[in-house]
Amino acid sequence: MAREELEIEISPTGKVTVRTIGIKGPKCLDYAELLTQIIGREVSRELTTEYYEAHAEAHAARKIEVKQARK
Amino acid sequence: MSSVIVITPLIIANWPAITAAVYAAVGTLGFAVARHAADGVTASRATAATRAEIEVEDSDILQDAGGTGQELVVERDGIRAIFSRDARGALKVCMEGAGCSKAELKRIGQELVGRVTQQYVYHRVVTELKQRNMTIVDESVEADKTVRIRVRNS
Repeated sequence: MAREELEIEISPTGKVTVRTIGIKGPKCLDYAELLTQIIGREVSRELTTEYYEAHAEAHAARKIEVKQARK
Repeated sequence: MSSVIVITPLIIANWPAITAAVYAAVGTLGFAVARHAADGVTASRATAATRAEIEVEDSDILQDAGGTGQELVVERDGIRAIFSRDARGALKVCMEGAGCSKAELKRIGQELVGRVTQQYVYHRVVTELKQRNMTIVDESVEADKTVRIRVRNS
């Protein structure tokens, strides 16, 4: 299983950029919420491929479940 | 990578937390702490010096038992920065320096405020994440003075 990590960059002006690494799906948003609570106010958010990968996996699993239920 | 978020900091702290951030930050810009004035004792203002004031918008210095009249004075090459809490409770920095333009003092003051904010955020992030049993696995300071921390959920 991939390690779940956060990379936090604090610029010389105090602005913070947080990247979640190895955290798939909506769980990464929990970390985003946590860091926002600790630091201040979220100004932007970008969801990258890993987030959508997890969503796609969950969606595919749900489709299989529905198909099996219909049989 | 699964998400990238950008957060602008809010400084909500008591005076000791602010002074700790100032002490940690000013050395990186060549300033040294000249005086930490007690409650009600304000630093004497230099005569014939240019002045510029900077109010840190997203800040709230909490009132505590130590009072609200404290000041922290730092100096570098005849330039003085006086950190204090303004009437509304925000962090204020008064810059003074003979032979400097107002714009120059403002620029230096903004740089100081940035570094103080950086130190405040660093301390807060590290403290809070450790309390949540997260481990710092790597830490570095880049050439542009950006602090980079890598944290693992243990």
